[in-house]
Amino acid sequence: MSLLGGGIVKGMAVTLRNFVGSYFNKERLVTNDYAWRPKEDAELPQSAGQYPKEEGEQLSDTTTVTNYSRNFPMLLHDGKEGDTPMDTVRCVACQICERECPPQCIYIEKMYDENGKYIKSPAKFDIDVSVCMSCQICVEVCPFDAIVMNSQFELSTPDRFGGLLLRRDDLLKSNDYYHQIHPGEAAARDQRMADEKAAKEAKKKAAAEAAKKKAAEKAKAEAEAKAKEAEAAQAEGAEEKSEPEGGDSKEATE
Amino acid sequence: MSWELIRDILITTVPLLVIFPSLFAFTTWIERKALARIQNRIGPNKTGVPCTRISLFGLGQPAADGIKMLFKEDIVPKGADRLFHLLAPIVALIPAMLVLCFLPLEFPWAKFVQAPVQAFLLDGAVIFFFAITGLNTLAVFMAGWASRNKYSLLGGMRAIAQMVSYEIPLVLSAVIVVMLVGSLNAADIAAAQKGYQWHLFTPWGLAAFVIFFIAALAETNRSPFDLPEAESELIAGYFTEYSGFKFALFFLGEYIAMFAISGLAVTLFLGAGEGPGVAAVPALSVAWFIAKIFALIGIMIWLRGTLPRLRVDQLMAFAWKFLLPLSILNILIAGFAWHVAKSGAGTGLKAVVWIASLITLYAVARGLNRISRPEAAPREYKYAE
Ligand code: SF4
Ligand code: SF4
Repeated sequence: MSLLGGGIVKGMAVTLRNFVGSYFNKERLVTNDYAWRPKEDAELPQSAGQYPKEEGEQLSDTTTVTNYSRNFPMLLHDGKEGDTPMDTVRCVACQICERECPPQCIYIEKMYDENGKYIKSPAKFDIDVSVCMSCQICVEVCPFDAIVMNSQFELSTPDRFGGLLLRRDDLLKSNDYYHQIHPGEAAARDQRMADEKAAKEAKKKAAAEAAKKKAAEKAKAEAEAKAKEAEAAQAEGAEEKSEPEGGDSKEATE
Repeated sequence: MSWELIRDILITTVPLLVIFPSLFAFTTWIERKALARIQNRIGPNKTGVPCTRISLFGLGQPAADGIKMLFKEDIVPKGADRLFHLLAPIVALIPAMLVLCFLPLEFPWAKFVQAPVQAFLLDGAVIFFFAITGLNTLAVFMAGWASRNKYSLLGGMRAIAQMVSYEIPLVLSAVIVVMLVGSLNAADIAAAQKGYQWHLFTPWGLAAFVIFFIAALAETNRSPFDLPEAESELIAGYFTEYSGFKFALFFLGEYIAMFAISGLAVTLFLGAGEGPGVAAVPALSVAWFIAKIFALIGIMIWLRGTLPRLRVDQLMAFAWKFLLPLSILNILIAGFAWHVAKSGAGTGLKAVVWIASLITLYAVARGLNRISRPEAAPREYKYAE
């Protein structure tokens, strides 16, 4: 028999533990306490001192934002940080996230080449961060691991409309940057992608093998002499196929 | 009206109008800090003295918020009832401020005042308290109706259902103290608890205090009873359409109502301004009174950080099937115990009554708890494990 109201007391003990613990254990804190701008830096007027930013310095680097911080989405590409060649962008403009986003703040236009053929890339990808509620649903639904959460928080702007509408090129960030801000999550994602790729390839290979076997059996029924040759061909094929897969899995573990 | 009367009115009321709104600012800061720490955040810690680097643990935050509120655009929705939209925050604030007068705060300057305006000594203060706080419901529904917004209206309707339901256990548990003391005067009630004879220290008083506190949470729309302003369901409910200073007034009214109802709980159950050192320095009683109010508000904040919001059916079942029968039983027990004490019974009999009433109250509460819970089959999770 539990005590009447015991559940509430238990819950209050948990919150009390968190309350007290947050004063003694810095590890618990999900946000960091950032420091004042150094006093020697007297160029900015003192009245501006409430916001600890030095000219040209971004605070939202890895020292200010913890691993747990999630703010607004960004688009991943596999190139180097800074340059954004469209062929390394993972997004294929499938518009799943656009449809799933609860406040409907994503706007996507597909890219077409001059013949009107759909090339799998977004021509436009806008997120209105004044509407985005940081729910991460877009991240959950994307089948191509193309959209993940950024931890950039310094987005204040004097332009109420345009300034808060992030365009495709503002959103594009490299996978390296992702590894920098959310190392654990990024590593897990890469691992999973590699595993999926490997599994897909293995499945493809198995299917190909099965098809070949079938063909071989058919051939066997037709003529015994030809069967031997078919089997030899099959073994060769298997050897060839297994090589790239081994290479892949090595990459994944790295 | 003589000059003395006006002077006396000013002496008694102006301190209340200064002290409690400034305590309100401090409370918002405490609440933000405490909730932040409960969620392992830091909370406001930078805003301090303007134009300096002195941050004072973020104590400047309430002032900054106030200034921000004052400068915000006041938006009235198209199609809203402009008059009632404007009146609602005022109607929310005035009764909350008004009932502060009934708290038996013994300010040191009160002795200069002639008897008639001593608001503290009003006979029937407890009745007045409940009569006037009831107006709060009107303000909430006014806001919900005048905004012409379905969220606001839903919030307003929820508020009415909730406040009407919880008013009953609230009053019934206060009735116990009125019965035991034999007076509705707040000062008499405070005097009756002198010498640490607080009503909290009796089984019926303890039960009444718990019921009172729970009902007070519901009356002031505090979590876990914050259905009328549920952010995640109703986008702040009845004040969805309020911005700027009108919103600030609502906010202020809500906190002042919290102070007022905590003050009443302190008066009824926690011995009003009694505490160590009051006999030597009478002015300390105000400090003790406010400290006790803050203790209760601290528990409210703590609960807010702990409990999730109730469902509407749970809310209603809790009020009508649990609190109401329990408070009626409590009245019977308190009456019985009072008669036993009156008849000059010995300590042994008193002890028996104490233990018996404690056991009865606990057993009935357990039983009620079991039957009043809405039936729920064990939940099956399809996607989560
Ligand atoms: S985080 Fe949520 S609201 Fe923001 S873009 Fe993604 S789906 Fe939309
Ligand atoms: S981000 Fe993902 S879900 Fe959204 S359009 Fe690109 S590929 Fe599709």
